[in-house]
Amino acid sequence: MSKKMQITLTVNGETQELLAEPRELLIYVLRERLNITGPHVGCETSHCGACTVTMDGKSVKSCTVFAAQANGAEITTIEGIGSPDSLHVLQNAFREHHGLQCGFCTPGMITRATKLLEDNPNPTEEDVRFGMAGNLCRCTGYQNIVKSVLAAATELSAAKEAAE
Amino acid sequence: MSYLTPTTLDAALGALSGRDTEAPVSVIAGGTDWFPAQGERAYNGTLLDVTRVEGMRGVSAVGTGWRIGGATTWSDILHADLPPAFDGLKLAAREVGSVQIQNAGTVAGNICNASPAADGVPPLLSLDAEVELTSTRGVRRLVLAEFITGVRKTARAADEIVTALYIPALSAGARGGFTKIGGRKYLVISVAMVGAVLTLSGGRIATARITVGSASPVALRMGDLENALVGADLAEALERVTPERLAALSPISDIRGSAEFRGEAVVEAIRRTLTQIMKGQAHG
Amino acid sequence: MSDILALAPRFGSNSGQSLTRRDGVAKVTGTATFAADNHPDGLLYAVYVPATIARGTVTHLDVAAAKAHPGVVEVITPENRPPLAGDPDSKPFMFAFRFEALQNNTVRYANQPIALVLAETFEAATEGARLLNPLYDAQQPRMGLDGDAPFTPESGGLGLPGTTVHGDIDAGHAASAQDIDVTYETPEQYHNAMETHAVVAQWNGDHVTLDIPSQAIVMQRGAFGYYFGIPPENVTIRSPYLGGGFGSKAIINGPQILAILAARMTGRPVKLMLSRDQMFGPSGHRGATRQRLRIGIDTDHRMTVLDHNSLATTSTFDTFVESAANASQGLYAAGALRSAHQGVRIDAGTPGPVRAPGEAPGSAALECAMDEMAYKAGIDPLEFRLKNYAETEPGTGKPYSSKALRDCYAQGAARFGWAGRPLAPRQMTDENGMLVGWGMGTALFAAPMFAAQARAVLRPDGTGLVETAASDMGQGAWTALAQIAADSLGLPMDRIEFRSGTSDLPDAGIAGGSAHTATAGGALHAAGTDAIRRLAELATGDPDSPLYGAGNAGVIARDGRLHARDDDTRSESFADIITRAGGAEVEGKGSASRTAEASAAHAMYSHGAVFAEVKVDPDLFQIRVTRLVGAFAAGRIINPKLTESQLMGGMIWGISFALHEEARFDQRTGRIMNADLAGYHIPVNADVSGLEVITVHEDDPHVNPLGIKGVGEIGITGTVGAIGNAIWHATGTRVRHFPIRIPDLLTGA
Repeated sequence: MSKKMQITLTVNGETQELLAEPRELLIYVLRERLNITGPHVGCETSHCGACTVTMDGKSVKSCTVFAAQANGAEITTIEGIGSPDSLHVLQNAFREHHGLQCGFCTPGMITRATKLLEDNPNPTEEDVRFGMAGNLCRCTGYQNIVKSVLAAATELSAAKEAAE
Repeated sequence: MSYLTPTTLDAALGALSGRDTEAPVSVIAGGTDWFPAQGERAYNGTLLDVTRVEGMRGVSAVGTGWRIGGATTWSDILHADLPPAFDGLKLAAREVGSVQIQNAGTVAGNICNASPAADGVPPLLSLDAEVELTSTRGVRRLVLAEFITGVRKTARAADEIVTALYIPALSAGARGGFTKIGGRKYLVISVAMVGAVLTLSGGRIATARITVGSASPVALRMGDLENALVGADLAEALERVTPERLAALSPISDIRGSAEFRGEAVVEAIRRTLTQIMKGQAHG
Repeated sequence: MSDILALAPRFGSNSGQSLTRRDGVAKVTGTATFAADNHPDGLLYAVYVPATIARGTVTHLDVAAAKAHPGVVEVITPENRPPLAGDPDSKPFMFAFRFEALQNNTVRYANQPIALVLAETFEAATEGARLLNPLYDAQQPRMGLDGDAPFTPESGGLGLPGTTVHGDIDAGHAASAQDIDVTYETPEQYHNAMETHAVVAQWNGDHVTLDIPSQAIVMQRGAFGYYFGIPPENVTIRSPYLGGGFGSKAIINGPQILAILAARMTGRPVKLMLSRDQMFGPSGHRGATRQRLRIGIDTDHRMTVLDHNSLATTSTFDTFVESAANASQGLYAAGALRSAHQGVRIDAGTPGPVRAPGEAPGSAALECAMDEMAYKAGIDPLEFRLKNYAETEPGTGKPYSSKALRDCYAQGAARFGWAGRPLAPRQMTDENGMLVGWGMGTALFAAPMFAAQARAVLRPDGTGLVETAASDMGQGAWTALAQIAADSLGLPMDRIEFRSGTSDLPDAGIAGGSAHTATAGGALHAAGTDAIRRLAELATGDPDSPLYGAGNAGVIARDGRLHARDDDTRSESFADIITRAGGAEVEGKGSASRTAEASAAHAMYSHGAVFAEVKVDPDLFQIRVTRLVGAFAAGRIINPKLTESQLMGGMIWGISFALHEEARFDQRTGRIMNADLAGYHIPVNADVSGLEVITVHEDDPHVNPLGIKGVGEIGITGTVGAIGNAIWHATGTRVRHFPIRIPDLLTGA
C-alpha cells in the first residue's frame, strides 16, 4: 500500500514537517491537515482557481499539485498575504470595491492577483482579465474584481513612487 | 502507490526499468493532468516525478539548435529569450490552461498526453521538433510526428522518459505564428488551431511549415500547402490556402464544432496565421 | 401613508448608502468559514459513489475490497443503511423533493448516490469509493425532450399553475394581421456554485449540529428533523456563508442526508464534500425546454395574441417543470394571453429552481420572438415593445404596484445609443471588419415575499441587537439587512450587532425568489419599529424624561436618541431611558409576509431593459459580447453597490446562458459528458467587458412597507434575448436555440 513520505513545507513562513501519502494533494494537506482553510476546492481539475496558492514564487492550483511535489517548497496562501488586522493592499481593494460576492473564489483570486501585480505592476484592464482568467467567479463579480485589482495596482505604484 | 522524486537521471531510469505492468509507473512533471485523468479508476502504481532530475529543466542553445528540457514549464518558455521562430510556441504557451497551469505544466507533458487538442503540438511540429527518449537501454530521438502515434498514444516505451525536445537549426529570419479558434475567449479547448513557421525573402515566402491541430486525430503538417506557398507574397499566399491543399485533414463533428465548420475555420485560421507572421504581428 | 416617507429623510439613514460589505474582511482574508472549513475532532470523511448508468439496478458492489482498504471505516449500501424516520420518496413539505438515500438498488439517473464510504482520511474514502467497482443491470435511458410522451403537469415550477389563459386565444389569432410561429430550445443547465455541496454533521445524543450551506435555514431545520425523527429544535444549522447557491442550496439532497445518517451510525462527526462532477446529478438543475411562441399583431402593431407553450424535461420520479411560458404573463398588453406547460419524464435527476427559474429560459425565447415579430412588422424592437406597453397587468387588469419600465427603456437606450439602429441585419461593421449587431430585451421578474420573523433588542448601553436566520449566498444579506435593521432602530451601523446564519434565530424565510431582502428586511424593520415603540412608551410615560407626554407616536429614533417629533431639542438617549427604567433590555418582535389582499390588489414585478452589442467574426463566426447596458427598476435600493453587483452578476449569467452553458447527455448511457468546469463553460474574466448597470429610481408604496423589490435574478432576463437578437442583427442568422455557438452561424452564412 501507500508508502508515506516525510515532507517539509514552509507555509506562510512556518515550517511544517509531515508524513504524506503519495496520493495526497497539496490542497487537502493545507485544508484538512494544517487547518489552513482559506484556499478552497471548487473543481479538483484545475479549472476554477479557488485553490490557488503561491509555490516558490509562482501561482499554482493546489488541487492538482501533489503534496510530495511541494516538498521543500515555500507556500503562501491567503492567510500569509494579510490578516484582518493588517490587510494587504489587494485585500483592502477587493473589500472596498466589492470584488467579491459569495467570497468562495476570493482567496484564490487575491492570491493570484498578488503574483499578477508582482510580475506586472502596471497592468491594463486586458492584462488583468487575461491574467486572472484561470480564476472563475460564478456569482459573477468579474467587473468589480478587475476594478479591485486595478485600484490596488494604482495604490501600490503610488506607494512605490513615494518611497523612491 | 508510491511517489518517487529522483534527482539524477540514472535514478529515474532505474525506477522505470524492469517494472511489471501490475504496478505501472506514471511519469509526471507538473502533474496537472494526472488526477483529472484518473476518472473512476482506483489509484495504483507509482508516480515518478521528474521535475527534480538534474538538467531536466530549461531552454538552452545546443550547437546550431535548441534544447527544451523534459521538465521545462510553459512559463519557462514564455520567459525564455528565444528567436522569432518561437513566437508561435510562445503564443501557444499563453493558451495552455491558465497562468497557474503554465507555471506547473510542461512542454513534454503536453506532447506525452497526445491530446488532439494539445496547444503545444502544432507549433512544435512547425519547428520540426524532435523528441529525445531515454531509458537504461539507451537514448533515441524521434521526430515529433513519429512520436505521437494517435489520440492519446505515443511511441514512448514504458521504461522511457522524454528527457528533452530538440529544435533543429532555424534559418535566420524564420518567424513563427499561432492561431487558435474557440467559443470562449480563454481557457478554451480549441475548435481548430494552426502553428506556422515561415522564412521570408523580399516579402515572399521562402520556406513554410504549416501545422493544423484539432482537425484530425493527430496534428498534421500540410505538405501540399507548404510547397504551394513557396514564392508567394501575402496576397498570393492567402489565395493559395484552399481546402484541396488541406485534404489530409479529417475534422470531426463534436460538441465544439461541426466537421464542416472546422474545415472552413482551418482555412481562415491559416490565412490569419500567415498574415500575422508576414505583417510581423506575432509577438511571443 | 407608506413608511418610506417616514424613513427616507431621516438623518443618518443607513439604507440607500453604498456601504462596504460587512463580510468583506472575513472573505478577503480567508477567515470566512464555509461548511467544509470545519474540522471537529474525530472527524470521518464521507465520499459517495455515483452511479455511472442512468437507468437500471446496481447488481454488485465490492464492499469487501473497499473495507479492506486501510483507513476505510464503513461502507453504507442499501443492505446496511440504517432506517430514516421520513421517507425520502415522500414530499412532506413545499420545497421538498424526492431524493436518493440508498432506499433500494434502483438507479434513476447518472451520478445518483449508490453507496457511501467512510474513512479516516479523505484520500482513503475516495479510494474506497473507487474500489467498490459497481456492476449494473443497465437499461436504455430515456433522454431529451423527445425521450418520452409529454404530459400536462398540475403546475409549472413551484406551485404556479400549469396553464394560464386570459382572453380568447382563438379570437386573438384570428384577429391578427401578421403573425409569427417560432420554436426555441434551451438546454439543461447546472447551478455550479463555486462551493460544492458540503456538510459537517455532529451528533450529540438526539441533537445534531450541521455545518451546511443553506438558503432556507429554519425551514431545513424542520425538514432534517422530519427525516431523522427528531424535533426541529434538536437540529442546529450553521450557515454563516454560502459559496453561492442559485437555488440548489434551498433543496435538501440525498448525499447530505446520507452523511448525516453516517454520523449517527458511526457516532463520529462526518464531513462530506461533493466533487464538481457530483454537482451534476443529485442537487437539481434547470430542465431543458422547447418553447413554441405564436404572436399575432394588428395593423397598428398591437399584439392580438401572445401564445406561449413550453415543454420541459423532468425526472421519472418527481415533477418540476420549468415554468418558462409564465414569462409571457405580466409583461406585454396582448389581447389574449396563454401560458401552457408540458413535461417529459427522462432518466435524469429532478430539476429544481435555478437562478431565475422559468423566467430565464422563458424570457430568452419571448424576447427573441418579440424581436422576430418586430422585424416582420418592420418596426424598431423597442418601439414595438412600447406600443404594447402594459399599463395594467395583462389579463388580470391589476394595477402594478409600481412600474418604471418606460424609464428603464429610455435610460438604457440613451446610455447605449440605441437611436439610429438600422432595422435590417448585417448592416454594421467595425474598423476591423467585424460584423456588429445590436439587440435588446425587456427584463421582468416577479417581486414575491415569503414569511419571516425577526427580533430586535435595545441594550442598556445604547447598542442594539437584531436577529434573523438569514442566508448570505453572496448577495450581501449581512450588509443590506443590517442597514435596514440599523435604520429601524435609529442607530448607526457600528452600534448594532446583527446575528444571522444559524437556525436558533427567528425564521428569515427562504433566500430565493429575489425576495430575501424584502422579506427578512421587512421582519427586521418591524422588529426594530416594535422595540422603538416600547422604548418610546418607557420615555413618554416617565415624568423624569424630557419626552414625557410626547406620546409614543410623537417621537422618532435617530442616532441612538429619541426625539420629540415636533420639537427636536427635546430628546433623550436610548441608554438613559433604559437605565432609568431599571436597566432591562427592551425587546421588539416583528414579522413580514404579504397578505392575500395585498397580492390581489396589485401586480408586483421588478422591470428592466437590456441592450447588447455583439461583434461576430465574418469568417470564423467567433462571437463576442462587446457592450451590455442594463437599466433596472426594482423599488427601493438598500445598498447601491450590492445591487449593482447582483445585477451585473445576473447579466453575466445571461451571457453564459446565451453563449456557453449546456450540459450534454450521452444518449446511450445517460451520463453527462461535460460534467466538469472544463467542458461545462461559464464565462471567464476575459469574456466580460463593457458591462454597465443603471438603477432607475422607483418608489413603490404597495409592494411592502419598505418598498423593496428584488435584484438577484432579473439580470438574466432580458439579457439572453438581447444577445440572441444582437447576434441576429449582426449576422442575419436567427438561431432558435441556446447556447448560440460558432457552427450555428455557419449554416446561415
